Parts: sequence; structure tokens; C-alpha cells
Amino acid sequence: MPPQDTDRIALLQGTLDLLILKTLVLGSCHGQGIARSIQRQSEEVFFVDHGSLYLALQRLEDKKWISAKWDVSENNRKARYYSLTAKGRRQLLEKTSEWQRLTRAMGLILDGPPRSEEV
Amino acid sequence: MFRRRRSADDFAEEIKSHFELEADELQSEGLSEEEAHRRARVEFGGAQAAQERFYLRNRIAWLDNLLHDIKFAIRQLIRTPSFTCVAIVTLALGIAANSTVFSWINSTLLDPIPGIAHTSDMITIMRGERSEHPTPPFSYMDFADLRDSTRTLAGLLAYHDDYMAITESGEPERIYGALASSNYFEVLGVRPILGRSLASTAPNERLGTAEVVLGYGLWQNHFGADPSIIGKTVHINLHPYTIVGVAPQGFQGCKSGIRSDLWIPLGMDPQVSGSERIKYRDALWLNVLGKLRPGVDHRRAENELNILMQRLAERFPDAHRGPNTISSDPLWRSPFGVNVYLSGTLPILLALALVLLLLACANLANLLLVRSVARRREFAIRLSIGASRWRLVLQLMVENALIAVAGAALALLFTRWTAHGLSAFLPPTTLPLTLDGRIDQTVLVAAIMISLLTASVSGVLPALRASRLALAPGSALKDEALNNSGGIHKSRLAGGLVVGQIALSMLLLVCAGLLGRSLQRAQESNPGFDPNHVFLAGFDLKPEGYSRAQGIEFDKQMLARLKSLPGVQSVTLGDFSPLSYTIHTDFIQPEGYVPGKNESMEVDRGVVGPEYLRTVRTALLAGREFTGRDNLGAPPVSIINQALADRYWPGQDPIGKRLQVARQWTTVVGVAANGKYRRLVYNTAPLVLIPMLQSYRTDQIVYVRVAGDPMAYASAVERTVHGLNSDLPLFNETTLAASMRMGNLFERIAAAFAGSFGLLALILAAIGVYGVVAYATRQRTHEIGIRMALGAGKRDIFRQVLGRGLHFAGLGLVLGLLISFALTRYLRGMLYGVGTADWLTFVIVAILLCVATLIACFIPARRAASINPIQALRTE
Repeated sequence: MPPQDTDRIALLQGTLDLLILKTLVLGSCHGQGIARSIQRQSEEVFFVDHGSLYLALQRLEDKKWISAKWDVSENNRKARYYSLTAKGRRQLLEKTSEWQRLTRAMGLILDGPPRSEEV
Repeated sequence: MFRRRRSADDFAEEIKSHFELEADELQSEGLSEEEAHRRARVEFGGAQAAQERFYLRNRIAWLDNLLHDIKFAIRQLIRTPSFTCVAIVTLALGIAANSTVFSWINSTLLDPIPGIAHTSDMITIMRGERSEHPTPPFSYMDFADLRDSTRTLAGLLAYHDDYMAITESGEPERIYGALASSNYFEVLGVRPILGRSLASTAPNERLGTAEVVLGYGLWQNHFGADPSIIGKTVHINLHPYTIVGVAPQGFQGCKSGIRSDLWIPLGMDPQVSGSERIKYRDALWLNVLGKLRPGVDHRRAENELNILMQRLAERFPDAHRGPNTISSDPLWRSPFGVNVYLSGTLPILLALALVLLLLACANLANLLLVRSVARRREFAIRLSIGASRWRLVLQLMVENALIAVAGAALALLFTRWTAHGLSAFLPPTTLPLTLDGRIDQTVLVAAIMISLLTASVSGVLPALRASRLALAPGSALKDEALNNSGGIHKSRLAGGLVVGQIALSMLLLVCAGLLGRSLQRAQESNPGFDPNHVFLAGFDLKPEGYSRAQGIEFDKQMLARLKSLPGVQSVTLGDFSPLSYTIHTDFIQPEGYVPGKNESMEVDRGVVGPEYLRTVRTALLAGREFTGRDNLGAPPVSIINQALADRYWPGQDPIGKRLQVARQWTTVVGVAANGKYRRLVYNTAPLVLIPMLQSYRTDQIVYVRVAGDPMAYASAVERTVHGLNSDLPLFNETTLAASMRMGNLFERIAAAFAGSFGLLALILAAIGVYGVVAYATRQRTHEIGIRMALGAGKRDIFRQVLGRGLHFAGLGLVLGLLISFALTRYLRGMLYGVGTADWLTFVIVAILLCVATLIACFIPARRAASINPIQALRTE
């Protein structure tokens, strides 16, 4: 069973892009697959609003971070497949490190005052 | 972003594919097909909504963004009402100055002859030296020859304008009419709105046909816009004319700024003026306008006319003794009409207005700069959550555009009122002047364009700077950077703008000062007569139908009766009054003087009554005044001024010399002191006076020198004149002092506008200095607190802030001085009695600016001095 709705966290603005890019590192994928993958990998904590997902995909495509083409899925369905561009790869690296700095800083604050050796 | 727009269908397809994939997967997890489809849909959460959002995003994203930007900008502007108001008013003042001057230029120089078809193809033609008051260049016969032989002109028209009277019933109505060649309306491309033009009078041009085309205004006001007016009769100077046409609204004749009320054929001149000049080749009375053939420029036309004129001069040498060179001008600088005076004044005023606009620009830029520094935190936040720098700049430019639009709207409101400012300078005058600005489409578009341009120019630098400052979000978000040292007081840009503002306002104030002093000098200059205590009134005997003898008798009786009124000291008549653009010219031939080849022998000429010099109090240097005995039975006499004697008879006694005036030989009986007759700023020019009893004029001005207020005698003079002829209207009742204000009209316009621009400049500069110093002081509250805590006294702080303002003022004054020295020489042509480097003006302006700067710094300095150090340090 998936967790209760109350345990799910709506994705923070801006983080969805990062998650999409991360998912596509493993290979090209269609929208439904990306949604499933994000939900599964976050241990069903993240709830992906599909409307937002497709708009995010469109936005990334406009920025040329990902590219798309129509293809046929393994179970013979027509689907639009997305894959990372070189530009997207660079962005992924950059955003990942930015995100890590942010979470570290958040962690430092939330875990209490810094220890003396870090000052 | 819109390079390859994806279709909405494609997007819908993708979502459909999503449902199928999801349903497949759910089914494979063990759900029934139906249940799987339902769940897929529920999970998606509104496919319709997603498609809608996709559609919006792709199709009208930019419009959406713009609307959002505008809404946001309005909110931001409303949140800071004082900034918004000051910015809008500053801009509005700068633009209003420009749109006002432009509205005048637009309706005078750019539209010199309203209502005609091809302004740019028309040329105006002049003979001899360029002058601000040229005589009409041609006789009728020369005109007719030129018109018939020219190949470069598609048409050449001639006209002569003068006062006339409509005499139907009761008092005659004085109007300004034109005698026009038969091709007049066709060459101008003006089609009467009723009836026809004068074209059909061509075969009889020289002898005249009693037909008239009414001006639109006259038709409206005098004839009640009667639609069946064609074919009716109107009496002009007691002669019946058939009304054949009505000119369109807006068309007012061929002289800029001067309105004609009706047009009659040239051949009617003997009827109207009582002169036979149309028969003579040496009587110059016609002004001409030519229409260039397509592809011919005015130089070629000028060359051709000169060749034709040369041939005429060779064929008829006696009739072409004066200058025979012809020069042509585009209409906007036509020497006939008001434009000749405005074409010097208005461009300078526009230049001054542009300087004012530049000043407003600097002020606005400074305001925006201060504001953008205050908003750095907002920009930094927006950049860090994903706005692009471009988007930020765009947002700021949208705010500027809104200010620009509001500023332009306010400026146009001002202009609606100031556009009519030109006519406010006109004293009561006999001239049918139509000097007025108006707001039309051109002015509207120009004002809005100037406004947007101004706002962009002054907004783009602060906007780019703001986005750059905020680009390092790390530093901008830190309070340190915002509140202490990163403030504007270190900004060279803001300081530079303030210095620039002071320099520009110095330039404007210097111009205003120079023009003001020049006007003052002109006012103080001796006009050569005493304008005080003289009552003037005009009258015209022509429409009364008097014979020459009756007219002279009327004049003599009127003078005698007026002289016997209590309080009247002396009375005279003249066909002009000084300094009101009413004096005429004539050609002279002094005894013993041999004119150079093509030398113009044209001088100012007045026809005056007995005791003229005594009445206006012009000194008689030698000989005698005209008396009642200088009449037709006596030998013809004349009085000349010193300038005429000096020019033609240097070192000789002019009394008793013979002088030909208007083809009649006279004997000089008196020499008068020099005076000013056209403009106060002109050098004294030769003048000849001839007695009215020997050269009868019907259109005259009566001069009454009185004790006390001249206007108090108006009703007594009227009663006296009406005692002789109860129907004779007196017009333009005024004083000599008031009517001569016409003689410095253009100086007053220039001085008044330069003065108000200077005042505005001073205010703008003061606001600029105040804004920057006040902001810098507020930013440094913390620092000042520390200083005070360390022992600085209130006076030290006060002095420091004032010193800062004076520092700006000093730099600005030095720069302004340099600019002024460099640029004021362009004013030289407009100055009278003042050099362009008039030290007094410079010193006064410098002091004025220093005082204004000190006042502007005083409030922030006092605020700084009253800072409580403990509180200042705590609030940080």
C-alpha cells in the first residue's frame, strides 16, 4: 500500500526540475515513467502532480536541457520520450551541488547551533 | 522560447499516452481494466487543467507576463506615492516645456501657411538683401511677365494685402483683405468650399472684376454662415462686389501668422486703394509665391528667375534702378509674415526646452537610482528564485514606461493651457495676427515619443545597475551591504548626475539672465520719443466716401477740436505709430547722392500731421516742424532724421536740400533726432517724414498728448470725433506706451520663456540635490551615530552635510560655467546691449544656485544633526 496522503510532501518549487533531470540520467523515459520513478525512488514520499510534471517537461525542453521525440514503449504504446541534452547534464551537476549546499545549510540550522570547531 | 511551438494537439496526445501507460501499469499490478483507467485519471488530477495551462503558457505567455508586469509596476508605484508624484511631475515639466514650444513651432514654422496643398513645393520670392521687413518685390507688369515666361515653376501667384472695410449698413467693418492674382487659389491648391475661385477673372486680370471670395471666418461671423451666399452682393470700400466663393476653414492667406478675411482680383486695386500702381512697372507692391514643377529644386527656380529678371531690367532700365537679384526661400523662413521673427526665436526656445528636458532626465535618473538601491533586496530575492536579469530590467522599464505615460498625459494637460501662451504676449494691435499654438496629432505623438524616450534614457542606466548590483544575491541579501557602506553616497553615478543637473540649470539660468538683461536694456534704451501720456486711436476715412479735399478738411477740423479739449497738450496724426510694425517704407533719391549699382534706396517713411515731433517729444535738431501751412498749395517739404542726413549727406547741412520721396521732390525743412520705429533692438535707421496735408492718407492714427492717464480721455476723444462724423468707428484705442510693446514682442517672449525655464531648472536642481543628500544622510544614520558617539558635535555633522551639498554645487558651477561660456554665443543674435559673457549675470546665477543648493541641503543637514546616537546605533 502507498503511504497515506498526509505523509506525502508536495514538491518544492524548483526541485521538480532537478528530480526530472536526475531521473533522465539513467536513460530516456516518457512522462508517466518519470512520475512513477520519482514517486518510487522517494519511497512514495513525493507526490508528483502530473499537470505540473508535464509543464515542467515542457519548460525544460524550451530551455534545451532535455529533448523529446515520439517513440513506441515496450508494451507497444505510443509515448513521448525525453532524454538529457549536454546542456541538461551540466545543469544537473550545477543544481545538484547547489542543492547539497542548501540542504547542508538547512541541516546545520535545524540540527541546532554549530559546534565550536566549525566556526 | 517560441521558436518551435508545440501544438496543443501534440500535448493532448502525450497526456492520452500517459493515461494508457499508467493504466497498463496499474493493470499489471492486478487492478481490473476499468478500475485501472479510473485510478489513472484520478492520479493525474485534471488533464483538462493541465492542457489549459499548457495552452496559456505557449500562446499568450508574453502578454500574460506583460500584464503581470504592468499590474506589479502599478502596485510598486502606488506603494511609494511621493516618489511616483515627484517623478511624474518632473517629467511632465520637462515635456510640457518642449511640447509647448513644439506646438508653436508646429503651427508656425512647420505650418507656415495653413490650409494649402503642397507646402514643401512652394517657395517665397524676395528681391534684394534679405531683411526682416522686405518690401513687396514686384510690380504687376514684372509679375505678369515672370509668370508667363517661367519654366521651372508650375505656377506663380501674386497678392497684396491691406485693410479694407465692409460698408453695407451702419458703421463700416474694418477687415484685412487681399488683392489676389487670378491663379491664386489654383497655385495654392485651395478649393473653395462654396462656389468657385477667382480663376475666371483671368482674362480681365488687369482691369479687374468685382468679385470676391470670402474667408471662412468672415462668412461665419459676418454672414451667419449663409449657405446660399453665392451670387449675393457685398460692398467693400463702398463698391459692390459679387460673392463667388467661400474659402475653406483654416486657410487664411499667404502670410504666416497674418489673417486675410477676403480675396478680390488684383485689378480692383484702383478701386480699393485709390492708386494707379497696377499700371506702372516701377511700383513694387506685389508679394509672390511660386509652386515648383515636380523635380525642380528651389535653387534652379531662383537661377531662372534671376535670368528672367535680368532681361526685364535690361529692357526697362528706368524701372529697375534698385536691386534686381531674386532669392527664394522655403515657406517656413518666408520673410513675409510673422515667421521671419519666430524663425530666430523659437529654435532657441526649443533648445532651452531640450536642456530643461535633459535636466528632468537627470532628475528622474537620480530618483530611480535611489529607488533601485532601496529595492536591491527585492531584486536579489527575485533573481534568486529564478527571474532572469532581463526580466528584472524589463520589469523596471515597464515601471518607467508607466511614469512616462503619466508624465506625458500631465504635460499635455499643461500644454493645452500654455499652447495659447504666445498670443498672451500680443498687445492690442491693428495687425490681424493669428499667433497661436495648438495641440494636434503631431504634437500629441511628439510629446508621447519624447516622454517614452526620456523615461527609457533615464531609466535604463539605473535599471541595468540595479540588476547588476542584485546579481550577486549573496551580498545583496546581507543587511550589511544594504544599510551601511553600500549605499548611494558612494555612487559616482548619482553624484555625477547632481553635478550635471547643477551645470545644466546654470546654463539655463545664464540664458534666462542674459535674455532678461537684454530685454531690460532694450526697455531702458531711449526710443527717441516719450511714450507716456499719449492716447492713440485708429480710424479709416476710405469707407466714408470722402473726397480728398473733404478728407483733409475732416482731419484739420478733428485736430482743431481735439486740441481744444481740456487737458490735451498737443494733437497730431500719423499713418503709423512707432514700434508697432505699422511703419511703411518708400524709395528716396537725395540731391547730390549717387546710389551704387543696385543699392536699395528704400527707407522708413511716415506721413504725419502738424506738430508730430512735438506730440511724441522727439527732439528737433535743426529747422522746423510741419505746420498747417504745409499743404497742397505750398511747396512740398520733408523732415529727415539724423541717421538719414548722416548716410546721404555726411558733413553737410541738410536743411534746404532736395529729397525725392515716392517720386516727388521735396525740400528738407527739419532734422529730427534718431528714434526707433520698428523694433527696440534694431539700430537706428534712416527715416523720412512727409506732411499729411501734402500726401493724403485715409487710414490714420490720431495721437493725443494729455496730462494724466491717457485712457481717461478715450470717451472725450470719441465724442469729439463722432461730433464730426457719427458713423466713423475708432479702433485700437490704446496708449503709445502700450502699443510700442509690440516693438519688443519677440524679446519679451524669449525672456519670459527662458526665465520660466530657468526657474524650473533651479527647482529641479534643488530637488535633485535634496534627494541625493537626504538619501545619503539617511543611509549613513549608523555612521553618523558612531561619529556622534565618538564625540562629533551637532554642528560638525550639520556642517559636514552642508559641505557635501556645496561640494556638488561647486563642481556643478565650474562645469556650468564652462558649458555656458561655450554655448551662450549662440544667443548673440538675440541679445541687445549685453555681451554673452556678462559677468554680472554669471555672478548672480552662481549665487542663486549656491543659495538653492544650501536650502536643499538644509533639511537633511538638520535631520542629520538631530540624530540621537544611541537610537541610531540601536536601530542597526
